[in-house]
Amino acid sequence: MTSSIFMHPAVLFIVGAMLLPLFKKYNAQKIWLVAVPLLAFLQIRYLPSSFGCVEWLGFKMQFGRVDQLTIVFLHVFTLMALIGSIFGLHVKESGQHASAWLYVAGSLGTTLAGDYLVVFIFWELMAFASVFLVWYRKQKRSIEAGYRYLLVHTTGGLILLGGIFLHYQRVHDLSFVAISPDTATLAEYLIMVGFMLNAAVPPIHAWLPDAYPEATVTGAVFMCAFTTKTAVYVLARGFAGFEALAILGAIMTLYGVFYAVIENDARRILAYHIVSQVGYMVCGVGIGTHMAINGACAHAYAHILYKALLFMGIGSVLEMTGRSKLSELGGLYKYMPFTMLFTVIGGISISGFPLTSGSYHLAETFHLLGFTALGFYLMVKYLTPHDVSNLDLDWFYRRGAGWFMWTARNPVSASNEWISNVYKNVGLRFTMALARALSWFDWEGIDWALDGSARGVVKGGEQVRQFQTGKLQQYIGGAVAALFIILIVVVFI
Amino acid sequence: MLKWLFMAILVFCLVFDFFAERHHAHFWGDHLIEFWAVFGLVGCLGMIVFCKGLSHVWLERDTDHYDK
Repeated sequence: MTSSIFMHPAVLFIVGAMLLPLFKKYNAQKIWLVAVPLLAFLQIRYLPSSFGCVEWLGFKMQFGRVDQLTIVFLHVFTLMALIGSIFGLHVKESGQHASAWLYVAGSLGTTLAGDYLVVFIFWELMAFASVFLVWYRKQKRSIEAGYRYLLVHTTGGLILLGGIFLHYQRVHDLSFVAISPDTATLAEYLIMVGFMLNAAVPPIHAWLPDAYPEATVTGAVFMCAFTTKTAVYVLARGFAGFEALAILGAIMTLYGVFYAVIENDARRILAYHIVSQVGYMVCGVGIGTHMAINGACAHAYAHILYKALLFMGIGSVLEMTGRSKLSELGGLYKYMPFTMLFTVIGGISISGFPLTSGSYHLAETFHLLGFTALGFYLMVKYLTPHDVSNLDLDWFYRRGAGWFMWTARNPVSASNEWISNVYKNVGLRFTMALARALSWFDWEGIDWALDGSARGVVKGGEQVRQFQTGKLQQYIGGAVAALFIILIVVVFI
Repeated sequence: MLKWLFMAILVFCLVFDFFAERHHAHFWGDHLIEFWAVFGLVGCLGMIVFCKGLSHVWLERDTDHYDK
């Protein structure tokens, strides 16, 4: 039963990531980069509905649970891993590919997980692998953004873990199944908040537009697909029909698009637009009917593809020009015509243009699409971006971190100094006096006894030494005399 | 040329809406002629003015705002 764990597609990616340096050594990295995701993409069709059940410390862990909802996400995740790996073929660093694949493995593992423990394990793998996709940009801003990303996700993971513990305490069952809004308590809501953080639901969304624009070109293509959509999957699995999700999802759609309109960095615009688009999915999950869940999944599938395409287009511009701020770019259609073509295809897909993956084929679509386009056409001058960045809720933790450091430097450091002054003046004198007292006792008490006996031994040794002359005849004479005395004593007494 | 094609499509949409079937309306707005056209245009303009205005008066900062 345990051996069936090896058919898990995440195992393919983990082993694939570990073998990458070997393939790089023999100049076969590019072949391996295509082969592994392709194999996973083909392999997911043959997964049984349940596999990889492990008994561990009295817990039953299920690594594989496949049904219709799972297969939609597995399909698009493995497809996206293949597309992303092909886009990243030019990158020579094995580390980037390895972290991308571990990230994919985390995402697949969460999607297939049958209980909360397995969800949590892969959830954390996802957070810790993806942060390297930010750090590999190797700029100061990226390293800082990566640390913030990691701290936010660690917090979210702890909230999730706390929820899992409380949930287990209440029902003594960790299986990951749909939770009814009527029976949900604090435990279930904590789990939901943990999931919502990864779905970037406001007010805990700010990590996304903070970290994604600082990621590497190929890393951003992976990141835009997996974290938020895995969160949509777990919300759809566990929390369909929670009204809070419907309301927050609706807020999310507007919140994201509002910021997307006013931003300047192209990848930041796309990041905010992820928030907006995931809002539709979260809203659908919150409505919770069969049709709404289907819509959310279909949207997630299409969204992953066109959003990745847009990140590839902008990423290519960033790779070639070194810039992603719209105020510093322009006229590139002459030099990068294919990039323009594909970015436009991504752009019209996201607007729901007919014949693209974002299209929903409604009669209203033409009206909405056409007249919204007219609106943008009329306002295009007013929309010219400026070289600014806009405040968002990351203000709280970025300023919060600043205040924490200030507190650490000033009150904490000052009180630390005060305590060391008190110690120097009072504590140190007391210690010195105590040391002197101990020293006196040591000298007069212990040494007197020890040295006294030592002096006795020396003195005795000195006196004994007087008898030792080293002359054999005296020793023999002494011995004979002693023998004589002993004989007299024995005979006469 | 492309501009005029775009305008022609918009005009066609407007005219089409006068003759469109309204039996399967999901929403009160579906009964109103040109509702979605007006909603799209006004919504878009309103959003742009609101967001850009909010950015100018409150949200915008230097790009190295947090580094200071």
